[in-house]
Amino acid sequence: MKHFTLPVSPKTVHWGYFSKAVAPALTLRSGDRATIETLTHHANDDYERMIQGDPGAESVFQWTREHKAVARRGSGPVEGPFIRGAGEGIGVHLLTGPVAIEGAEPGDILEVRILDVRPRPSCSACHAGRCFGSNVAANWGFHYHDLIEEPKPREVVTIFELDTSGEPYAKAVYNYVWTPQTDPDGIVHPTIDYPGVRVDHATIRKRENILASVKVPARLHFGTMGLAPSEADFVSSIPPSYTGGNIDDWRIGKGARMFYPVAVPGAYFSVGDPHAAQGDSELGGTAIETSLTGDFEFILHKKADLAGTNLEGLDHPMLETDQAWSFYGFTYPNYLAALGADAQTEIANHSSLDRAMRDAFRKLRRFLMTVHGLSEDEAISLLSVGADFGVTQVVDANWGVHGTIRKNIFRCD
Amino acid sequence: MSFRPFTSESYAQDDRPEAWRDVLAAVGLQPATGHSFFDGHATASHRHAAGVALTRLAAGAQSVGPLSQANDDLPIALMPVEDGMVLKSAGGHRIVPVGHLVLLPRGGDWSIAFQRDMRAIVLAATSEALHGRLSGKPRLGEPRVVPPGGFAEIFARLLDATARTLDTLGDVEWNAVSQALVDLLLTLAHQLAASTSDAGSSVTQAALLHRICQTIERRLDDPDLVPARVALAERISERYLQKLFETVGDNFTHYVRERRLQRAWADLSNPLEAHRSISEIAYAYGFGDSAHFSRAFRHRFGLPPRDFRQQEAERATAQHGVTGQRGWPQDALARAHQSNAEARSNVTRTGPGEPRTAERRHHHLPVEASRVHWGYFSRSLPPQIEIASGDTITIETLTQHASDAPDMMIAGDAAAESVFGWTRDKKNVDRRGAGPMDASVFGRGAGEGFGVHICTGPVAVKDAQPGDVLEVRILDIVPRASRNPKHAGRVFGSSVAAWWGYHYNEFLGGPKPREVVTIYEIFDDPDEPHARALYSYRWEPQTDPFGVVHATYDYPGVPVAPATIKRRHAVLDGIRIPLRPHFGVIAVAPREVDFIDSVPPSYFGGNLDNWRLGKGSTVYLPVSVPGALLSVGDSHATQGDGELSGTAIECSMTGTFEVILHKKADLAGRPFADLSYPLIETETDWVLTGFSHPNYLAEFGAQGQSEVYAKSSLDLAMKDAFRKMRRFLMNVKGLSEDEAIALMSAAVDFGVTQVVDGNWGVHAIISKRLFQDAP
Repeated sequence: MKHFTLPVSPKTVHWGYFSKAVAPALTLRSGDRATIETLTHHANDDYERMIQGDPGAESVFQWTREHKAVARRGSGPVEGPFIRGAGEGIGVHLLTGPVAIEGAEPGDILEVRILDVRPRPSCSACHAGRCFGSNVAANWGFHYHDLIEEPKPREVVTIFELDTSGEPYAKAVYNYVWTPQTDPDGIVHPTIDYPGVRVDHATIRKRENILASVKVPARLHFGTMGLAPSEADFVSSIPPSYTGGNIDDWRIGKGARMFYPVAVPGAYFSVGDPHAAQGDSELGGTAIETSLTGDFEFILHKKADLAGTNLEGLDHPMLETDQAWSFYGFTYPNYLAALGADAQTEIANHSSLDRAMRDAFRKLRRFLMTVHGLSEDEAISLLSVGADFGVTQVVDANWGVHGTIRKNIFRCD
Repeated sequence: MSFRPFTSESYAQDDRPEAWRDVLAAVGLQPATGHSFFDGHATASHRHAAGVALTRLAAGAQSVGPLSQANDDLPIALMPVEDGMVLKSAGGHRIVPVGHLVLLPRGGDWSIAFQRDMRAIVLAATSEALHGRLSGKPRLGEPRVVPPGGFAEIFARLLDATARTLDTLGDVEWNAVSQALVDLLLTLAHQLAASTSDAGSSVTQAALLHRICQTIERRLDDPDLVPARVALAERISERYLQKLFETVGDNFTHYVRERRLQRAWADLSNPLEAHRSISEIAYAYGFGDSAHFSRAFRHRFGLPPRDFRQQEAERATAQHGVTGQRGWPQDALARAHQSNAEARSNVTRTGPGEPRTAERRHHHLPVEASRVHWGYFSRSLPPQIEIASGDTITIETLTQHASDAPDMMIAGDAAAESVFGWTRDKKNVDRRGAGPMDASVFGRGAGEGFGVHICTGPVAVKDAQPGDVLEVRILDIVPRASRNPKHAGRVFGSSVAAWWGYHYNEFLGGPKPREVVTIYEIFDDPDEPHARALYSYRWEPQTDPFGVVHATYDYPGVPVAPATIKRRHAVLDGIRIPLRPHFGVIAVAPREVDFIDSVPPSYFGGNLDNWRLGKGSTVYLPVSVPGALLSVGDSHATQGDGELSGTAIECSMTGTFEVILHKKADLAGRPFADLSYPLIETETDWVLTGFSHPNYLAEFGAQGQSEVYAKSSLDLAMKDAFRKMRRFLMNVKGLSEDEAIALMSAAVDFGVTQVVDGNWGVHAIISKRLFQDAP
């Protein structure tokens, strides 16, 4: 077993997409471990607190008229002229990787264990050692067309500080309404339509004393983790799908074991979109987006060895924790295959919890029948009385409902 | 998308009148003077395009009048659905029945009274919708009522169909439909204006001009569209034709060119026309020379056609994720909230320090045939017992699924035998469900099984009045053991994968479809309470004592004859399901019509099916009728979030409750002030209950009890849960909207309550821990 370290730098991140075509940042073997740094793509909402003085973050976010360290952000076109910028922001998450796994082949399952998760402290002089995050009530939020206060619509950024001295929690520092921001290439962003644009704090009005005396319990986790799909070379990081990705389940934190079906040789694992806390549904469009570092262990389960295990027949992501298994239902379980050429934008027009619930039901039924050997009638009775369905997210185009079944149900005696 | 849903549930009580005023204003209406706005439940769906607004309104009784003083735009079309209304104008009072259409002048002295509920479709168009077309401005001095039939009926039906599908029409579809509606409205208005007995020559002129404009519209492709030919076709002189245009300050040539350019503009911005070349479009509108068209277009719109088209295409792409929606004008609301926020943040907590009357009493309500109502709630049921606020009461409940294994769950239990008692000659509890007693719908039995839960009660609470809040604390829940000597002391439950289950339409294996009953044994040991399956069987047609055959599980309490079924043992072998004892149904009587189906939950509580309603939890219910009339039933040993197959592990249980009445006048500052839905409090959390249709009885009116089954969706329930949580955080916790939304993203968990009770549920949970440092 080897232990690798993968720091963030323009060479070890890809921004806004999963890709089987990007050269691996690290190659390792089943059983190896890696410490992987991740950055939140919302760090520029408060440059001073979340980027300044941090060599890794500064190198990735660097963008001047002359030089943009990571030019492509999203799976969109990379030849101008651009409406929003290279990659067009079709996909927004800063992902570290890909990590290639030696010998991984389509049909295998990659198990990723999260051994530990730590926040990334600020390096700027004024805030050194403290940890910050940003929550954005954004235009893709569930609430956006259903606001009651003026101005309508509006996007609001709330900066949180994460306190880990005791039981970790987050507390709001200030918030502001998004104002049009001009990026170094001169493109104006009237809404949050492209990731990593530095917010000029001279153009915004900070409101302090918000959420006074409210403490949000921390749930450190990675919103986006998954493997490269086989369908396209560049796939938007926003909609989650059969190889995982932007699942946005806060249970994917320390102690979690995620299982993903391998779609391309080498598996190509990437991780990012770190969150300090999120509720089930991620209603406003984002969590408390906070740069984190994780320790991971990778275990490859070969196709031939899956029969008779919990992984038999698995063709979608699965979470195992100490207490439970969770399955992720989506509006479209594999939207890339279902929606054709324009799938990456088309999916946003089909979002629905009703379809996601249906998908979660089917995945859980399959698990109970294949893995636990139940009849269909047994499985359905158990789903009604022993499984819990919850809303994972309603903001990632391919909406999610998760179905969870507790392990202690199967305690034989 | 320009679709905009409205529900009063989003707003604090004080803010609702202003919010509702905005809804009405969007279609040129306002509350009639001298009529106070009601503050009950209101919903609306609204959609607009340039100059056109269509709204479907559902609210309580009220009167509305015109918003504007002037009468210089197209009339408003209003159509009552479901209930008639009274039109008051200079011409006197007139009753307008359902299906009749009313055309209302924009201003003037008229009003419309909805004496029962307000359910109407309103179309308001301004001349902006005409895109430069001359309407000849039909003026109506007086409101006009148009009975169904002929052209008006086509208009009315299109209005109705459009209003029903407002939320699902694509932008392109909606634009096309709204244009068609405006055209029909114009034509109808012209007909009415022309038919007025005192129509002067100006009306005739306007109608003639309207007709000429329509002719022009049809022939824009004709490069030889000249005044002489149009005049000839209308059998008027060319000079008179020009004069007609002069009456509206235009001239023929200018008008035709304007219309051609406008139509070309529309096509160039329409993504559906992207395959046509610019010269094709120019030619289609009578421009033979594309260079000439290009010049004219730029002169008119400031951009050459090619650049314009490019710009529109980019805008459409850019808006893919961010649809250009602008909402109701509600700045007044924001101001009102700001001034209240301070006062509201000072909320007192509920706690053991509740003021109580000196004498608290304990009551016991046993279960038997005369003490239950089966499958419905009703405001007209006589109370079984009256208790005072602060009293405790033990209530026995029976599961309606006891008849799935009568030997285990009924036999030997006098109370259960009395409730389920049913022979050829006598059925102890005849009505089961809110349906007709003569079973004239399906013939299943009295009440038709429209509602299935055995509810014990009602319990009247002394001094309870509509507007009060009833706090029901669940102090204890104890399962009811079998009284059959064969099984004495053991506890059983039943779970049915029924035809109303979520899985029912997609079985993998045969026979398809099927209903399956699983009988469980409940082990209520203190260390690890759990349930284990004993056996299961497929439902087989059961003949009830009256001889009716129930091919599916369509009527509650039909005793299953052991000889008709095949028990399968060794089911769910080795599987132990942890218990979550709770009551599926806790309700106060709804204010609406007499018998309400017990299945869909709503504002009054009812079949909430949330397992968090267990020991130690509290539910707050808004009182709707004097005495509150509390009923309890549908006890569950355990259930998962979703209740997927249609039922939980249904098991008879006895609960002990503490009931506290909070008078309307004392609600201010409490977490349950302004309560219009069941609010659950557990030791650690607040749980808010969202439904597809938060008040389906008010929203759908007479059809509510069937519509709610047809129109349920998690997407709607999620929206409702979101709105309720926002309101809770803003009003109870004193947060701004932005703070509330940030918190909902970071700390509120939304989950699926159930997808099987007609009115599907999504709940929102917020931990009390977040606020533990609050002053």
